[in-house]
Amino acid sequence: MSGLTANKTETNVKLPLSFIFLGLVSFVLSQWIFLIHSDALTNGIFRLPQILMGAHLLLLGWIVMIIMGAMYQLVPVAFLTPIWSEKLGFVQLIVTGVGIGLFSFLLGFNISHAVYGAVVVIVGILLFLFQILMTLKKQEEKNVLTLFVGGALVCFLITIIAGLTLAWSIAFGSSFNYTATLHSHILLGVAGWFTLLIFGFSYKLVPMFSLSHGFKMRGSKLAFISYIVGLLLLILSFWLDHSSLSTLGWILLWVGFSCFTLDILEILKKRLKKRLDRPFMFSLIAIGFGWLIHTAVVVLRLVHFQDERIWSWLVFLYIICWVMFSILGYLYKIVPFLWWTYKYSSQVGKISVPLLKDMVNEKLGVTLFSLFTFGTFGLTISGVLQMDIAVQLFQAIMLATSIAYLISIVQVIRK
Amino acid sequence: MSLYEQVKEALYTVIDPELGINIVDLGLIYNMEVNDNNDVKVTMTLTTPGCPLHDSIVGGVESAIYFLDEVGKVDVQLVWQPAWSPEKMTDKARAMLY
Repeated sequence: MSGLTANKTETNVKLPLSFIFLGLVSFVLSQWIFLIHSDALTNGIFRLPQILMGAHLLLLGWIVMIIMGAMYQLVPVAFLTPIWSEKLGFVQLIVTGVGIGLFSFLLGFNISHAVYGAVVVIVGILLFLFQILMTLKKQEEKNVLTLFVGGALVCFLITIIAGLTLAWSIAFGSSFNYTATLHSHILLGVAGWFTLLIFGFSYKLVPMFSLSHGFKMRGSKLAFISYIVGLLLLILSFWLDHSSLSTLGWILLWVGFSCFTLDILEILKKRLKKRLDRPFMFSLIAIGFGWLIHTAVVVLRLVHFQDERIWSWLVFLYIICWVMFSILGYLYKIVPFLWWTYKYSSQVGKISVPLLKDMVNEKLGVTLFSLFTFGTFGLTISGVLQMDIAVQLFQAIMLATSIAYLISIVQVIRK
Repeated sequence: MSLYEQVKEALYTVIDPELGINIVDLGLIYNMEVNDNNDVKVTMTLTTPGCPLHDSIVGGVESAIYFLDEVGKVDVQLVWQPAWSPEKMTDKARAMLY
């Protein structure tokens, strides 16, 4: 038997929770901004400064902050190594939080100066990347999770460099290919950074939450290689303006996503826990949405579908139905775990403590997840059909649901 | 009741908070020894190496054993080999998962 005496891998709960609550506030703010400017959504004007402000509050303020918070909790347990420096984590929290707030505000109200906010965001993100790099260096045995997380972090780095280049060109002008940089920025940020990270952590979390055993994860390496090559081909196609490369790139992303989906199906098939938690099921449904969106993109590419508005709504669906729904579901597992660990971990074995599922209102969660799904599809359909009142109505549902979601998470830490 | 039996009983009170099943029925306890000085050594595992409840469960085992008056030192060894498998669960635990 190879043994070790138990070592501490838990992070100070204040660090991930601070990221998560800042993220939730950004989420509500982004939905409020989208409601105020719903006419721009109706008309498909996604590059309006206020929409850019809302989009960056959603992507950076909500999703990136949540991911950072979740990684401060998940990396130590998934990689069996403590965070390199918690003090650096708190510094990074302040720098990134201030940077995202400043950057989003400048995008909306003084876009020519947004580059200054972007620089602060980048400093915060570089501190995070340094922190994770130093933590991963301490990991003794590298595995498939290391591959996905490493790939995601590289994509994240290139995304922010491209983002800074864009902000720089808006402020000072330049002669480089703006459209190709913008497309690379969106692709690597959304499909590279977010998707590879969700792939990696799902390979760890899905077996854990379903208590699965005896699965092989045969498709994991092919999923990684196919997705990375697909991303590279798409970036090349943006810069060379090459249609066939683009189609091949989308097909490879679909192959990668399909391999991942098949692996997850195998994991679920071999699960011992037959009744899965509802919030976790929402994250699994998000995988189905992600696969359907990848399939739709490939089909639209093959038939040379060109309508830019529809493509913009597909990017929206990809961000909301795949990335955001995954995170919404996992957060209903992560926050109760964080708070339970803080409040009850030291009481295990001494007194009777609640179970993790007792920490969160699952029934309310199901209602909220249903409303998010209803709101997102309603918003997309009414946006595509340019029905202004309906767009407003569905965006109001999204705002109300995001506020209720925030409250439901706050209720966890009152238990 | 012997101290060995008391320790065993105490371990039944340590519940996996994710599954709601005690660690003995889950098959996480591989070995338990009580020496002449009443020092207790437990060799155990978790269902997966990256289990987020790592510290809570191991700490819970220590606390549950230290709770017994006669116990001397407690040593909990966490091992990954042999790896946990569903066959190690009792029928009771298996039934609770359905």
